[in-house]
Amino acid sequence: MTHRTLHRVAHVVFDRFLLLPIGALIAVVWANTAAESYFVMARRLSFSVNEIGMAFFFALMAQEVTEAVMPGGALHSWRRWTLPLVAAIGGIVGAVTVYIGYVQLSYEYSLISAWPIACAIDAAATYYFLRTILPRSAAVPFALLIAIVTDVVALVIVAPRHLVFEERVGGATLMLGALGLAALLRVTRVRAFWPYLFVCGALSWLAFYWEGLHPAFALIPIVPFLKHEPRPMDIFVDPPDDDAVHHAEHEWHLIVQPVLFLFGLVNAGVALKAYDTGSWAMLLAQLVGRPAGILLAVGAATAAGLHLPGHMRWRELLVVAFATSTGFAVALFLATGVLATGPVLAQAKIGVLGSASGLVMALIAARLLRVGKLAH
Amino acid sequence: MRRVFTAIAFLFLLGVRIAPAQPTSALPSLSDSLKFAVVGDNGTGDSEQYDVGARMTEARNAFPFDFVIMLGDNMYGRQQASDFVDKFERPYAMLLHAGVRFFAALGNHDNPNNRSYPGFNMNGERYYSYVRKNVRFVVLDTNQLDPRQLAWIDSTLKQSSDEWKICYFHHPIYSDGGRHGSDVELRVALEPLFVKYGVDVVYAGHDHIYERIKPQKGITYFVNGSSGELRKGDVNPSSLTAAYFDQDQVFSLVEIKGDDLYFQARSRTGRTVDAGTIHRQTRNQTVAP
Repeated sequence: MTHRTLHRVAHVVFDRFLLLPIGALIAVVWANTAAESYFVMARRLSFSVNEIGMAFFFALMAQEVTEAVMPGGALHSWRRWTLPLVAAIGGIVGAVTVYIGYVQLSYEYSLISAWPIACAIDAAATYYFLRTILPRSAAVPFALLIAIVTDVVALVIVAPRHLVFEERVGGATLMLGALGLAALLRVTRVRAFWPYLFVCGALSWLAFYWEGLHPAFALIPIVPFLKHEPRPMDIFVDPPDDDAVHHAEHEWHLIVQPVLFLFGLVNAGVALKAYDTGSWAMLLAQLVGRPAGILLAVGAATAAGLHLPGHMRWRELLVVAFATSTGFAVALFLATGVLATGPVLAQAKIGVLGSASGLVMALIAARLLRVGKLAH
Repeated sequence: MRRVFTAIAFLFLLGVRIAPAQPTSALPSLSDSLKFAVVGDNGTGDSEQYDVGARMTEARNAFPFDFVIMLGDNMYGRQQASDFVDKFERPYAMLLHAGVRFFAALGNHDNPNNRSYPGFNMNGERYYSYVRKNVRFVVLDTNQLDPRQLAWIDSTLKQSSDEWKICYFHHPIYSDGGRHGSDVELRVALEPLFVKYGVDVVYAGHDHIYERIKPQKGITYFVNGSSGELRKGDVNPSSLTAAYFDQDQVFSLVEIKGDDLYFQARSRTGRTVDAGTIHRQTRNQTVAP
């Protein structure tokens, strides 16, 4: 393999967030071959990866979404949000209904607390899949908006349910300090990102920690104070390194990539023998509940007068519905936020890993319905 | 001829290794000892559970145990008011009438709200602790081992100056059950605490079998998850296995006096399928059949 090929492979792996599934794959193999050493490692690293490292990932996502929805951004125009919002709500209701229904029918009451995990959509996986199958189609931003809305709802559900820390007073004061300092940096026209992220971010992180909120979201309140530029391309696409803001985002990506690898490594490992009712419930919720919910909600919305985005037909919508059935990375994050160590978490993880098969279903649907690149 | 002898010797050794232990010890039923019974995965409401309840009642005539520990899945299926009668109060009616108390742990089939059911004596807690004579019992909820529970386990065991420490919960951290087996993730979280604070014995269920594990880091582990449900032939004996029984429902009787713990596992027909003594030492246990 030449140096150039290696460079291209590394580029694809970095650009498409593939380090996370690579880490996840290593974790699953490790957990099923040398379980004790895997779980010792995962236990030691989970705090620094899930509570600290992932804060940079969510901040980057917040930065990219902010830039995409601001005037001039690819996802601006609030009119476009109506139908995806309806679809997202339909997907959430469908997934959660199927999950809770299955668990109730199985009389496994201990599993009910895992329902928020069924909400998650892996936005990156959905985006790259659809961009490959349906390039330049309105289905791509449509699906991305569904994923963003769904994940925001899911993360809001998880944030105050964090189990890890004792709540303490004083967090609100620290938060005010963090925001005040960020505002001061902004007023004094500090353009570099790092003082915002490492100084204000550290204060905000402590504030979240002390208030019993998930500290992985701690940098998000700081993001609005950063310098933004409208993103004419969708989120996940790296902008050209042509000015200070884009350069800072490139560097930010360099921090986030190893974090995502470690996130996959630390959280995806599960003994596959632990599959049980919770795994099937999660899988059905993602693969059946969400697509059904999206289709029903969009059906009702179009009957009420809303329209599908330009040139998008029902068969494209069906492919979108299946493509959003993969929870994977976001669902794994939710799982670690909602559930503590134990069989409930293990079962949910197996279902989440299995939900990656949603992309296969989307691929089959695209082939059968002759959609996009698979039309011929 | 040599090959035949070799084969016979091999089969003999194999047979010895995999055969369920033949119990030899009886419970001494000493005066002033602590006596209790153990059931796990029992709440089916089926005739087998009623049979086990009847055997427990008979056993109590000769071995007057004061209480029963329940290892989770105290109730399967629907869990409405009538189910508490059919799956708990009627199968153990004679024991309950005689004043025997049940102390339950939560299993994966249990509605977490059942912790408020008076018959389970959990006082609304997912995890709790109590002392009887010289024994500290620590009851855990292994469905979700959250950091608060881990901190509670740490402080509870640390503060305990009781001679014996017995933990019980639903999911086994050592098991040769074919369906579930050892939960290594839970083991990584719990075992260091058990070792650090000198836990002597651990009971779990979940696998619908009876198994006694050879002492691991000084701790004897029991799986007793077949007091209602049963998964016949599910044990895959390994180097961990000290004894097992997977052909019928099982409950256990335990007696503690001084530094000795006597145990006896009995089947639904009343047959003793495992028995022995665990001698408590400062850190190292010895188990005698």
